[in-house]
Amino acid sequence: MDKIKSKKKVLIVDDNNNLTSVLVDKFNLSGFDAMGAVNGEDGLKKALEFKPDIILLDLVMPVMDGLEMLKQLRETEWGKEAKVMVLSLLDEATYIAKAMDSNVYGYIIKTDLSLDGIVKKITDILQSTK
Amino acid sequence: MSPVKNYLKHLLTSVVILLVLLSTLFLSRNFIKNFISNPQDYFLSGLESAEIYFVTVFIGLTVIFVLISYVIYLLLTNNTRFHLEIWNATKDLALSKEQFKRLYDSAPVPYIMLDKNAEIRGPNKAALRFFSVLPEDIVGKNLFSYLTGEDKEQAERLFDYYKSNVPINRKEVSMITKKGETRIVQLSIFEMKNPGSFSSTGLAMIFDITEQKLLDKAKTEFVSLASHQLRSPLATTKWLTEMLASGDIGELSPKHKEYVDKLHTANEDMIDLVDVLLNVSRIEMGSLTVDMKQTNVEELTESIFGELAFLINKKQINIVKEYNGLFQNIQSDPKLLRIVIQNLITNALKYTPSGGTIAVTFEESSGEKTITVSDTGLGIPESQQGLIFTKLFRADNVRGLNDSQGTGLGLYLVKSVMDSIGGSISFVSQENKGSAFTITL
Repeated sequence: MDKIKSKKKVLIVDDNNNLTSVLVDKFNLSGFDAMGAVNGEDGLKKALEFKPDIILLDLVMPVMDGLEMLKQLRETEWGKEAKVMVLSLLDEATYIAKAMDSNVYGYIIKTDLSLDGIVKKITDILQSTK
Repeated sequence: MSPVKNYLKHLLTSVVILLVLLSTLFLSRNFIKNFISNPQDYFLSGLESAEIYFVTVFIGLTVIFVLISYVIYLLLTNNTRFHLEIWNATKDLALSKEQFKRLYDSAPVPYIMLDKNAEIRGPNKAALRFFSVLPEDIVGKNLFSYLTGEDKEQAERLFDYYKSNVPINRKEVSMITKKGETRIVQLSIFEMKNPGSFSSTGLAMIFDITEQKLLDKAKTEFVSLASHQLRSPLATTKWLTEMLASGDIGELSPKHKEYVDKLHTANEDMIDLVDVLLNVSRIEMGSLTVDMKQTNVEELTESIFGELAFLINKKQINIVKEYNGLFQNIQSDPKLLRIVIQNLITNALKYTPSGGTIAVTFEESSGEKTITVSDTGLGIPESQQGLIFTKLFRADNVRGLNDSQGTGLGLYLVKSVMDSIGGSISFVSQENKGSAFTITL
Protein backbone atom coordinates (compact mmCIF):
# COMPACT_ATOMS: atom_id res chain seq x y z
CA MET A 1 0.00 0.00 0.00
CA ASP A 2 2.72 2.34 1.04
CA LYS A 3 4.61 1.93 -2.21
CA ILE A 4 1.67 2.69 -4.44
CA LYS A 5 0.85 5.83 -2.49
CA SER A 6 4.37 7.21 -2.30
CA LYS A 7 5.61 9.19 -5.26
CA LYS A 8 8.61 7.96 -7.23
CA LYS A 9 11.70 9.98 -6.47
CA VAL A 10 13.86 11.47 -9.24
CA LEU A 11 17.18 13.23 -8.74
CA ILE A 12 18.37 15.49 -11.56
CA VAL A 13 22.09 16.26 -11.52
CA ASP A 14 22.98 19.04 -13.96
CA ASP A 15 25.05 22.21 -13.69
CA ASN A 16 22.70 24.10 -15.99
CA ASN A 17 20.20 25.61 -13.55
CA ASN A 18 17.68 26.46 -16.25
CA LEU A 19 17.55 22.85 -17.36
CA THR A 20 17.42 21.45 -13.85
CA SER A 21 14.57 23.73 -12.78
CA VAL A 22 12.40 23.00 -15.81
CA LEU A 23 13.00 19.26 -15.39
CA VAL A 24 12.24 19.37 -11.67
CA ASP A 25 9.01 21.29 -12.40
CA LYS A 26 8.00 18.91 -15.15
CA PHE A 27 8.60 15.80 -13.04
CA ASN A 28 6.79 17.29 -10.05
CA LEU A 29 3.83 18.19 -12.29
CA SER A 30 3.84 14.65 -13.67
CA GLY A 31 3.41 13.09 -10.26
CA PHE A 32 7.02 12.51 -9.26
CA ASP A 33 8.98 13.80 -6.33
CA ALA A 34 11.90 15.55 -8.03
CA MET A 35 15.02 17.21 -6.69
CA GLY A 36 17.94 18.95 -8.41
CA ALA A 37 21.68 18.96 -7.76
CA VAL A 38 24.24 21.31 -9.33
CA ASN A 39 27.32 19.08 -9.74
CA GLY A 40 28.66 15.60 -9.11
CA GLU A 41 29.65 16.25 -5.52
CA ASP A 42 26.28 17.76 -4.64
CA GLY A 43 24.60 14.98 -6.64
CA LEU A 44 26.40 12.21 -4.76
CA LYS A 45 25.50 13.73 -1.38
CA LYS A 46 21.84 14.21 -2.33
CA ALA A 47 21.64 10.74 -3.89
CA LEU A 48 22.75 9.06 -0.66
CA GLU A 49 20.39 11.22 1.47
CA PHE A 50 17.37 11.29 -0.81
CA LYS A 51 17.76 7.70 -2.16
CA PRO A 52 15.95 8.43 -5.45
CA ASP A 53 14.34 5.71 -7.56
CA ILE A 54 16.30 7.02 -10.54
CA ILE A 55 19.04 9.57 -11.15
CA LEU A 56 19.21 11.67 -14.31
CA LEU A 57 22.86 12.49 -14.68
CA ASP A 58 24.62 15.06 -16.83
CA LEU A 59 28.24 14.30 -17.80
CA VAL A 60 30.05 17.61 -18.20
CA MET A 61 29.92 19.48 -14.88
CA PRO A 62 32.29 21.54 -12.77
CA VAL A 63 33.72 20.33 -9.41
CA MET A 64 32.93 16.68 -10.10
CA ASP A 65 31.81 15.41 -13.50
CA GLY A 66 29.14 12.82 -14.15
CA LEU A 67 31.40 9.84 -14.84
CA GLU A 68 33.37 10.46 -11.63
CA MET A 69 30.17 10.76 -9.63
CA LEU A 70 28.92 7.53 -11.19
CA LYS A 71 32.17 5.79 -10.24
CA GLN A 72 31.98 6.96 -6.63
CA LEU A 73 28.28 6.17 -6.45
CA ARG A 74 28.93 2.59 -7.54
CA GLU A 75 31.44 2.22 -4.72
CA THR A 76 28.80 2.91 -2.05
CA GLU A 77 26.51 0.24 -0.63
CA TRP A 78 23.28 1.97 -1.72
CA GLY A 79 24.68 3.21 -5.04
CA LYS A 80 25.71 -0.19 -6.39
CA GLU A 81 22.23 -0.96 -7.68
CA ALA A 82 20.92 2.60 -8.11
CA LYS A 83 19.24 3.30 -11.44
CA VAL A 84 21.01 5.96 -13.46
CA MET A 85 20.07 7.49 -16.79
CA VAL A 86 22.64 9.68 -18.48
CA LEU A 87 21.26 12.92 -19.83
CA SER A 88 23.96 14.66 -21.83
CA LEU A 89 24.62 16.99 -24.72
CA LEU A 90 27.56 14.93 -25.95
CA ASP A 91 26.74 12.61 -28.80
CA GLU A 92 30.13 10.98 -29.42
CA ALA A 93 30.23 7.21 -29.34
CA THR A 94 33.20 7.21 -26.95
CA TYR A 95 31.29 9.03 -24.20
CA ILE A 96 28.24 6.85 -24.69
CA ALA A 97 30.41 3.72 -24.43
CA LYS A 98 32.14 5.03 -21.27
CA ALA A 99 28.82 5.73 -19.58
CA MET A 100 27.41 2.38 -20.64
CA ASP A 101 30.39 0.64 -19.04
CA SER A 102 29.19 1.86 -15.64
CA ASN A 103 25.92 0.00 -15.92
CA VAL A 104 23.52 2.84 -16.69
CA TYR A 105 19.95 2.44 -17.95
CA GLY A 106 20.35 4.54 -21.02
CA TYR A 107 21.86 7.57 -22.63
CA ILE A 108 19.65 10.47 -23.64
CA ILE A 109 20.97 13.27 -25.81
CA LYS A 110 19.16 16.31 -24.44
CA THR A 111 18.30 17.91 -27.77
CA ASP A 112 16.83 14.64 -29.11
CA LEU A 113 13.95 14.27 -26.66
CA SER A 114 11.03 16.43 -25.57
CA LEU A 115 10.13 16.85 -21.89
CA ASP A 116 7.14 14.56 -22.37
CA GLY A 117 9.46 12.05 -24.06
CA ILE A 118 11.82 12.03 -21.08
CA VAL A 119 9.01 11.69 -18.53
CA LYS A 120 7.54 8.82 -20.55
CA LYS A 121 10.91 7.07 -20.78
CA ILE A 122 11.54 7.36 -17.04
CA THR A 123 7.99 6.21 -16.23
CA ASP A 124 8.48 3.17 -18.47
CA ILE A 125 11.78 2.26 -16.83
CA LEU A 126 10.42 2.59 -13.31
CA GLN A 127 7.35 0.54 -14.18
CA SER A 128 9.22 -2.25 -15.93
CA THR A 129 11.78 -2.70 -13.17
CA LYS A 130 9.47 -2.53 -10.18
CA MET B 1 77.47 -3.37 -67.30
CA SER B 2 78.64 -5.40 -64.37
CA PRO B 3 82.32 -6.44 -64.15
CA VAL B 4 81.45 -10.11 -64.29
CA LYS B 5 79.49 -9.64 -67.49
CA ASN B 6 82.32 -7.59 -68.94
CA TYR B 7 84.79 -10.28 -68.07
CA LEU B 8 82.67 -13.03 -69.59
CA LYS B 9 82.26 -11.07 -72.79
CA HIS B 10 85.99 -10.59 -73.01
CA LEU B 11 86.63 -14.28 -72.41
CA LEU B 12 84.11 -15.27 -75.04
CA THR B 13 85.69 -13.03 -77.70
CA SER B 14 89.12 -14.49 -76.93
CA VAL B 15 87.89 -18.06 -77.09
CA VAL B 16 86.17 -17.41 -80.43
CA ILE B 17 89.36 -15.92 -81.89
CA LEU B 18 91.34 -18.86 -80.57
CA LEU B 19 88.87 -21.30 -82.05
CA VAL B 20 89.02 -19.55 -85.42
CA LEU B 21 92.82 -19.78 -85.37
CA LEU B 22 92.83 -23.42 -84.33
CA SER B 23 90.19 -24.45 -86.81
CA THR B 24 92.07 -22.71 -89.63
CA LEU B 25 95.06 -24.85 -88.71
CA PHE B 26 92.84 -27.91 -88.47
CA LEU B 27 91.23 -27.36 -91.89
CA SER B 28 94.56 -26.84 -93.55
CA ARG B 29 96.13 -29.90 -91.87
CA ASN B 30 96.48 -31.86 -95.20
CA PHE B 31 98.10 -28.94 -96.85
CA ILE B 32 100.51 -28.53 -93.94
CA LYS B 33 101.28 -32.27 -93.90
CA ASN B 34 102.00 -32.24 -97.64
CA PHE B 35 104.00 -29.09 -97.33
CA ILE B 36 106.19 -30.62 -94.64
CA SER B 37 106.70 -33.99 -96.35
CA ASN B 38 107.21 -32.63 -99.89
CA PRO B 39 108.20 -28.99 -99.55
CA GLN B 40 109.99 -28.97 -102.95
CA ASP B 41 106.63 -29.26 -104.73
CA TYR B 42 105.66 -25.84 -103.44
CA PHE B 43 108.84 -24.01 -104.32
CA LEU B 44 110.40 -23.08 -107.60
CA SER B 45 112.69 -25.87 -108.81
CA GLY B 46 116.32 -25.16 -108.45
CA LEU B 47 116.30 -24.25 -104.80
CA GLU B 48 118.42 -26.27 -102.51
CA SER B 49 116.54 -28.54 -100.14
CA ALA B 50 118.42 -27.08 -97.13
CA GLU B 51 117.03 -23.64 -97.98
CA ILE B 52 113.58 -25.05 -98.44
CA TYR B 53 113.71 -26.71 -95.02
CA PHE B 54 114.92 -23.50 -93.43
CA VAL B 55 111.99 -21.51 -94.82
CA THR B 56 109.52 -24.24 -93.76
CA VAL B 57 110.82 -24.44 -90.21
CA PHE B 58 110.92 -20.63 -89.96
CA ILE B 59 107.25 -20.30 -91.01
CA GLY B 60 106.26 -23.16 -88.68
CA LEU B 61 108.02 -21.63 -85.67
CA THR B 62 106.51 -18.22 -86.44
CA VAL B 63 103.00 -19.71 -86.41
CA ILE B 64 103.67 -21.46 -83.07
CA PHE B 65 105.11 -18.25 -81.51
CA VAL B 66 102.12 -16.26 -82.65
CA LEU B 67 99.79 -18.79 -81.00
CA ILE B 68 101.76 -18.90 -77.73
CA SER B 69 102.04 -15.13 -77.44
CA TYR B 70 98.33 -14.84 -78.15
CA VAL B 71 97.57 -17.19 -75.23
CA ILE B 72 99.97 -15.31 -72.95
CA TYR B 73 98.37 -12.05 -74.00
CA LEU B 74 94.95 -13.50 -73.20
CA LEU B 75 95.93 -14.61 -69.72
CA LEU B 76 97.72 -11.40 -68.91
CA THR B 77 94.98 -9.06 -70.07
CA ASN B 78 92.29 -11.03 -68.27
CA ASN B 79 94.23 -10.99 -65.08
CA THR B 80 94.95 -7.29 -65.30
CA ARG B 81 91.37 -6.47 -66.09
CA PHE B 82 90.18 -8.58 -63.22
CA HIS B 83 92.50 -6.86 -60.77
CA LEU B 84 91.57 -3.49 -62.06
CA GLU B 85 87.89 -4.25 -61.60
CA ILE B 86 88.42 -5.54 -58.08
CA TRP B 87 90.32 -2.41 -57.23
CA ASN B 88 87.56 -0.19 -58.65
CA ALA B 89 84.87 -2.21 -56.94
CA THR B 90 86.61 -1.98 -53.59
CA LYS B 91 86.85 1.77 -53.97
CA ASP B 92 83.13 2.01 -54.90
CA LEU B 93 82.19 -0.21 -52.01
CA ALA B 94 84.13 1.89 -49.55
CA LEU B 95 82.46 4.99 -50.94
CA SER B 96 78.94 3.61 -50.77
CA LYS B 97 79.61 2.24 -47.33
CA GLU B 98 80.65 5.71 -46.26
CA GLN B 99 77.60 7.20 -47.97
CA PHE B 100 75.34 4.64 -46.33
CA LYS B 101 76.86 5.34 -42.92
CA ARG B 102 76.35 9.07 -43.33
CA LEU B 103 72.82 8.61 -44.58
CA TYR B 104 72.05 6.23 -41.72
CA ASP B 105 73.66 8.40 -39.10
CA SER B 106 72.22 11.73 -40.09
CA ALA B 107 68.80 10.56 -41.31
CA PRO B 108 66.04 12.49 -39.53
CA VAL B 109 64.19 9.25 -38.80
CA PRO B 110 65.38 7.17 -35.84
CA TYR B 111 66.95 3.92 -37.14
CA ILE B 112 68.17 1.15 -34.89
CA MET B 113 70.00 -2.00 -35.87
CA LEU B 114 69.14 -5.01 -33.78
CA ASP B 115 70.81 -8.34 -33.20
CA LYS B 116 68.89 -11.58 -33.22
CA ASN B 117 67.73 -11.10 -29.62
CA ALA B 118 66.37 -7.65 -30.47
CA GLU B 119 69.18 -6.06 -28.51
CA ILE B 120 70.12 -2.61 -29.73
CA ARG B 121 73.34 -2.52 -31.77
CA GLY B 122 73.64 0.55 -33.93
CA PRO B 123 71.31 3.40 -33.10
CA ASN B 124 71.65 6.42 -35.40
CA LYS B 125 71.77 10.00 -34.15
CA ALA B 126 68.05 10.55 -34.55
CA ALA B 127 67.43 7.43 -32.44
CA LEU B 128 69.68 8.77 -29.68
CA ARG B 129 67.88 12.09 -29.87
CA PHE B 130 64.52 10.32 -29.76
CA PHE B 131 65.37 8.45 -26.58
CA SER B 132 67.53 11.38 -25.33
CA VAL B 133 70.40 9.04 -24.43
CA LEU B 134 74.08 8.44 -25.16
CA PRO B 135 74.97 5.33 -27.19
CA GLU B 136 76.29 3.50 -24.11
CA ASP B 137 72.97 3.98 -22.30
CA ILE B 138 71.08 2.10 -24.89
CA VAL B 139 73.35 -0.35 -26.73
CA GLY B 140 72.72 -3.94 -25.58
CA LYS B 141 69.24 -3.23 -24.22
CA ASN B 142 66.20 -4.95 -25.69
CA LEU B 143 64.28 -2.57 -27.95
CA PHE B 144 60.92 -3.98 -26.84
CA SER B 145 61.66 -3.06 -23.23
CA TYR B 146 61.15 0.57 -24.29
CA LEU B 147 57.49 -0.07 -25.11
CA THR B 148 55.39 1.36 -22.27
CA GLY B 149 54.20 -0.84 -19.46
CA GLU B 150 50.55 -0.18 -20.27
CA ASP B 151 50.62 -2.82 -22.91
CA LYS B 152 53.24 -5.39 -21.95
CA GLU B 153 51.34 -8.09 -23.80
CA GLN B 154 51.69 -6.21 -27.05
CA ALA B 155 55.44 -5.81 -26.47
CA GLU B 156 55.76 -9.55 -25.93
CA ARG B 157 53.70 -10.32 -29.01
CA LEU B 158 55.84 -8.00 -31.13
CA PHE B 159 58.99 -9.58 -29.71
CA ASP B 160 57.65 -13.01 -30.73
CA TYR B 161 57.01 -11.65 -34.22
CA TYR B 162 60.57 -10.42 -34.35
CA LYS B 163 62.04 -13.73 -33.23
CA SER B 164 60.10 -15.59 -35.91
CA ASN B 165 61.19 -13.07 -38.56
CA VAL B 166 57.72 -11.68 -39.15
CA PRO B 167 58.12 -8.10 -40.36
CA ILE B 168 56.48 -5.44 -38.21
CA ASN B 169 54.97 -2.76 -40.39
CA ARG B 170 53.98 0.64 -38.98
CA LYS B 171 52.57 -0.73 -35.78
CA GLU B 172 51.26 1.99 -33.50
CA VAL B 173 52.86 1.68 -30.06
CA SER B 174 53.85 3.92 -27.17
CA MET B 175 57.52 4.15 -26.30
CA ILE B 176 59.10 5.65 -23.24
CA THR B 177 62.17 7.87 -23.42
CA LYS B 178 64.87 8.40 -20.82
CA LYS B 179 63.13 11.56 -19.66
CA GLY B 180 60.13 9.40 -18.85
CA GLU B 181 58.12 10.92 -21.67
CA THR B 182 55.67 8.68 -23.52
CA ARG B 183 55.72 9.09 -27.28
CA ILE B 184 53.26 7.54 -29.69
CA VAL B 185 55.16 6.04 -32.62
CA GLN B 186 54.74 3.86 -35.64
CA LEU B 187 57.27 1.07 -35.29
CA SER B 188 58.53 -0.89 -38.30
CA ILE B 189 61.11 -3.66 -38.07
CA PHE B 190 62.47 -5.48 -41.09
CA GLU B 191 64.79 -8.45 -41.24
CA MET B 192 68.25 -7.92 -42.73
CA LYS B 193 69.86 -11.07 -44.09
CA ASN B 194 73.61 -11.17 -43.53
CA PRO B 195 75.42 -12.70 -46.50
CA GLY B 196 77.50 -15.75 -45.61
CA SER B 197 75.92 -16.20 -42.23
CA PHE B 198 72.77 -17.90 -41.02
CA SER B 199 72.00 -15.35 -38.35
CA SER B 200 69.89 -12.39 -39.37
CA THR B 201 69.51 -8.99 -37.79
CA GLY B 202 66.83 -6.40 -37.83
CA LEU B 203 66.47 -2.78 -38.80
CA ALA B 204 63.97 -0.85 -36.71
CA MET B 205 62.44 2.44 -37.84
CA ILE B 206 60.58 4.74 -35.51
CA PHE B 207 58.16 7.36 -36.80
CA ASP B 208 57.15 9.70 -34.02
CA ILE B 209 53.48 10.58 -34.54
CA THR B 210 52.84 12.08 -31.10
CA GLU B 211 52.28 15.59 -32.46
CA GLN B 212 49.81 14.42 -35.11
CA LYS B 213 47.96 12.42 -32.49
CA LEU B 214 47.73 15.43 -30.19
CA LEU B 215 46.49 17.57 -33.06
CA ASP B 216 43.85 15.00 -33.97
CA LYS B 217 42.78 14.85 -30.36
CA ALA B 218 42.59 18.64 -30.13
CA LYS B 219 40.42 18.76 -33.24
CA THR B 220 38.05 16.11 -31.93
CA GLU B 221 37.88 17.79 -28.56
CA PHE B 222 37.15 21.11 -30.20
CA VAL B 223 34.17 19.68 -32.05
CA SER B 224 33.01 18.02 -28.82
CA LEU B 225 33.28 21.23 -26.89
CA ALA B 226 31.60 23.26 -29.61
CA SER B 227 28.85 20.70 -29.78
CA HIS B 228 28.34 20.80 -26.04
CA GLN B 229 28.39 24.56 -25.68
CA LEU B 230 26.15 25.20 -28.69
CA ARG B 231 23.58 22.65 -27.66
CA SER B 232 23.36 23.72 -24.05
CA PRO B 233 21.21 26.85 -24.59
CA LEU B 234 19.26 25.09 -27.34
CA ALA B 235 18.24 22.28 -24.99
CA THR B 236 17.16 24.84 -22.41
CA THR B 237 15.05 26.79 -24.91
CA LYS B 238 13.57 23.56 -26.28
CA TRP B 239 12.30 22.45 -22.89
CA LEU B 240 11.26 25.85 -21.62
CA THR B 241 9.16 26.59 -24.72
CA GLU B 242 7.69 23.10 -24.49
CA MET B 243 6.80 23.68 -20.86
CA LEU B 244 5.11 26.98 -21.71
CA ALA B 245 3.23 25.56 -24.68
CA SER B 246 2.00 22.51 -22.78
CA GLY B 247 -0.07 24.68 -20.45
CA ASP B 248 1.16 22.69 -17.47
CA ILE B 249 2.06 25.87 -15.68
CA GLY B 250 -0.97 27.88 -16.74
CA GLU B 251 -2.91 28.22 -20.01
CA LEU B 252 -1.58 30.65 -22.60
CA SER B 253 -3.80 32.84 -24.73
CA PRO B 254 -4.05 31.55 -28.35
CA LYS B 255 -1.77 34.33 -29.54
CA HIS B 256 0.80 33.57 -26.82
CA LYS B 257 0.65 29.92 -27.72
CA GLU B 258 1.18 30.66 -31.41
CA TYR B 259 4.30 32.68 -30.67
CA VAL B 260 5.71 30.13 -28.24
CA ASP B 261 5.16 27.41 -30.88
CA LYS B 262 7.01 29.51 -33.43
CA LEU B 263 9.83 29.97 -30.97
CA HIS B 264 9.91 26.25 -30.43
CA THR B 265 10.02 25.53 -34.18
CA ALA B 266 12.80 28.04 -34.75
CA ASN B 267 14.76 26.45 -31.94
CA GLU B 268 14.25 22.97 -33.43
CA ASP B 269 15.58 24.29 -36.76
CA MET B 270 18.61 25.62 -34.89
CA ILE B 271 19.19 22.22 -33.24
CA ASP B 272 19.09 20.56 -36.67
CA LEU B 273 21.45 23.16 -38.08
CA VAL B 274 23.94 22.66 -35.24
CA ASP B 275 23.77 18.88 -35.76
CA VAL B 276 24.48 19.24 -39.47
CA LEU B 277 27.27 21.77 -38.92
CA LEU B 278 28.96 19.57 -36.34
CA ASN B 279 28.70 16.50 -38.53
CA VAL B 280 30.11 18.42 -41.49
CA SER B 281 33.04 19.66 -39.42
CA ARG B 282 33.68 16.16 -38.11
CA ILE B 283 33.86 14.93 -41.69
CA GLU B 284 36.09 17.78 -42.82
CA MET B 285 38.45 17.40 -39.87
CA GLY B 286 38.58 13.70 -40.49
CA SER B 287 37.40 12.94 -36.98
CA LEU B 288 34.26 11.11 -38.01
CA THR B 289 34.51 7.55 -36.76
CA VAL B 290 32.72 4.78 -38.60
CA ASP B 291 31.40 2.10 -36.29
CA MET B 292 30.14 -0.87 -38.31
CA LYS B 293 27.76 -3.17 -36.49
CA GLN B 294 24.54 -5.10 -36.90
CA THR B 295 21.92 -2.67 -38.07
CA ASN B 296 18.19 -2.99 -38.49
CA VAL B 297 17.46 -0.48 -41.26
CA GLU B 298 13.72 -1.10 -41.14
CA GLU B 299 13.52 -0.23 -37.46
CA LEU B 300 15.75 2.78 -38.02
CA THR B 301 13.55 4.08 -40.87
CA GLU B 302 10.41 3.52 -38.82
CA SER B 303 11.83 5.60 -35.96
CA ILE B 304 12.59 8.44 -38.40
CA PHE B 305 9.00 8.33 -39.66
CA GLY B 306 7.90 8.35 -36.02
CA GLU B 307 9.80 11.56 -35.37
CA LEU B 308 8.39 13.20 -38.49
CA ALA B 309 4.80 11.98 -37.95
CA PHE B 310 3.63 15.43 -36.92
CA LEU B 311 4.91 17.11 -40.09
CA ILE B 312 3.70 14.26 -42.30
CA ASN B 313 0.20 14.58 -40.89
CA LYS B 314 0.25 18.35 -41.11
CA LYS B 315 1.16 18.28 -44.83
CA GLN B 316 -1.07 15.25 -45.46
CA ILE B 317 1.69 13.37 -47.19
CA ASN B 318 1.00 9.83 -48.29
CA ILE B 319 3.82 7.50 -47.18
CA VAL B 320 4.56 4.29 -49.10
CA LYS B 321 6.87 1.81 -47.36
CA GLU B 322 8.30 -1.05 -49.41
CA TYR B 323 10.74 -2.67 -46.99
CA ASN B 324 10.23 -6.12 -48.58
CA GLY B 325 11.40 -7.70 -45.34
CA LEU B 326 14.97 -6.70 -46.18
CA PHE B 327 17.89 -5.18 -44.22
CA GLN B 328 16.73 -6.19 -40.76
CA ASN B 329 20.24 -7.32 -39.97
CA ILE B 330 23.01 -5.85 -42.10
CA GLN B 331 26.50 -4.56 -41.32
CA SER B 332 26.52 -0.78 -41.30
CA ASP B 333 26.95 2.20 -39.01
CA PRO B 334 23.44 2.77 -37.65
CA LYS B 335 24.15 6.31 -36.47
CA LEU B 336 25.58 7.47 -39.80
CA LEU B 337 23.02 5.59 -41.85
CA ARG B 338 20.33 7.28 -39.78
CA ILE B 339 21.77 10.71 -40.68
CA VAL B 340 21.61 9.76 -44.37
CA ILE B 341 18.07 8.36 -44.42
CA GLN B 342 16.77 11.10 -42.16
CA ASN B 343 18.19 13.78 -44.43
CA LEU B 344 16.72 12.18 -47.53
CA ILE B 345 13.25 11.80 -45.97
CA THR B 346 13.32 15.30 -44.46
CA ASN B 347 14.28 16.75 -47.85
CA ALA B 348 11.48 14.84 -49.55
CA LEU B 349 9.07 16.15 -46.94
CA LYS B 350 10.34 19.70 -47.29
CA TYR B 351 10.04 19.84 -51.06
CA THR B 352 6.84 17.87 -51.61
CA PRO B 353 3.61 19.92 -51.66
CA SER B 354 0.67 18.94 -49.44
CA GLY B 355 -1.11 15.78 -50.56
CA GLY B 356 1.98 14.37 -52.30
CA THR B 357 3.56 10.96 -51.90
CA ILE B 358 6.90 9.85 -50.44
CA ALA B 359 8.06 6.27 -50.95
CA VAL B 360 10.90 4.39 -49.26
CA THR B 361 11.96 1.23 -51.06
CA PHE B 362 14.51 -1.40 -50.00
CA GLU B 363 15.92 -3.62 -52.74
CA GLU B 364 18.63 -6.20 -53.04
CA SER B 365 19.87 -7.66 -56.31
CA SER B 366 23.12 -9.57 -56.88
CA GLY B 367 24.46 -8.56 -53.45
CA GLU B 368 23.83 -4.85 -54.02
CA LYS B 369 21.70 -3.30 -51.31
CA THR B 370 19.84 -0.15 -52.28
CA ILE B 371 17.51 2.19 -50.43
CA THR B 372 15.48 4.62 -52.51
CA VAL B 373 13.60 7.64 -51.20
CA SER B 374 11.33 9.06 -53.88
CA ASP B 375 8.85 11.89 -53.80
CA THR B 376 6.35 13.72 -55.98
CA GLY B 377 7.91 17.07 -55.11
CA LEU B 378 9.44 20.05 -56.80
CA GLY B 379 12.37 18.20 -58.37
CA ILE B 380 15.76 19.65 -59.23
CA PRO B 381 16.18 21.78 -62.38
CA GLU B 382 18.14 19.74 -64.95
CA SER B 383 20.75 22.46 -65.43
CA GLN B 384 21.65 22.32 -61.72
CA GLN B 385 21.67 18.59 -61.16
CA GLY B 386 25.45 18.40 -61.40
CA LEU B 387 25.84 20.67 -58.37
CA ILE B 388 23.43 18.95 -56.04
CA PHE B 389 26.04 17.41 -53.72
CA THR B 390 28.24 20.49 -53.43
CA LYS B 391 28.48 22.37 -50.20
CA LEU B 392 26.02 25.25 -49.63
CA PHE B 393 24.29 24.60 -52.93
CA ARG B 394 20.59 25.35 -53.10
CA ALA B 395 18.55 24.88 -56.25
CA ASP B 396 16.92 27.97 -57.78
CA ASN B 397 13.41 26.59 -57.48
CA VAL B 398 13.59 26.21 -53.67
CA ARG B 399 15.39 29.40 -52.72
CA GLY B 400 12.20 31.43 -52.66
CA LEU B 401 10.20 28.93 -50.60
CA ASN B 402 8.90 30.61 -47.50
CA ASP B 403 8.85 27.78 -45.04
CA SER B 404 11.91 25.87 -46.20
CA GLN B 405 14.87 26.39 -43.93
CA GLY B 406 17.39 24.56 -46.10
CA THR B 407 21.04 25.02 -45.21
CA GLY B 408 22.64 23.69 -48.37
CA LEU B 409 24.55 21.25 -46.22
CA GLY B 410 22.23 18.25 -46.04
CA LEU B 411 23.06 16.50 -49.31
CA TYR B 412 26.73 17.42 -49.00
CA LEU B 413 26.70 15.69 -45.62
CA VAL B 414 24.79 12.70 -47.02
CA LYS B 415 27.32 12.29 -49.83
CA SER B 416 30.30 12.63 -47.44
CA VAL B 417 28.80 10.11 -45.02
CA MET B 418 28.14 7.63 -47.83
CA ASP B 419 31.76 8.03 -48.95
CA SER B 420 33.00 7.33 -45.42
CA ILE B 421 30.91 4.22 -44.89
CA GLY B 422 31.89 2.88 -48.29
CA GLY B 423 28.64 3.37 -50.21
CA SER B 424 27.40 5.63 -52.95
CA ILE B 425 24.45 7.84 -53.81
CA SER B 426 22.69 8.69 -57.05
CA PHE B 427 19.44 10.33 -58.06
CA VAL B 428 17.00 10.98 -60.86
CA SER B 429 14.86 14.07 -60.85
CA GLN B 430 12.46 15.98 -63.02
CA GLU B 431 11.35 19.47 -62.22
CA ASN B 432 7.78 19.63 -60.87
CA LYS B 433 7.44 15.84 -61.09
CA GLY B 434 9.67 14.68 -58.25
CA SER B 435 13.01 13.20 -57.27
CA ALA B 436 14.30 9.76 -56.30
CA PHE B 437 17.53 9.41 -54.33
CA THR B 438 19.11 5.97 -54.17
CA ILE B 439 21.86 4.98 -51.78
CA THR B 440 23.85 1.82 -52.38
CA LEU B 441 25.35 0.12 -49.34
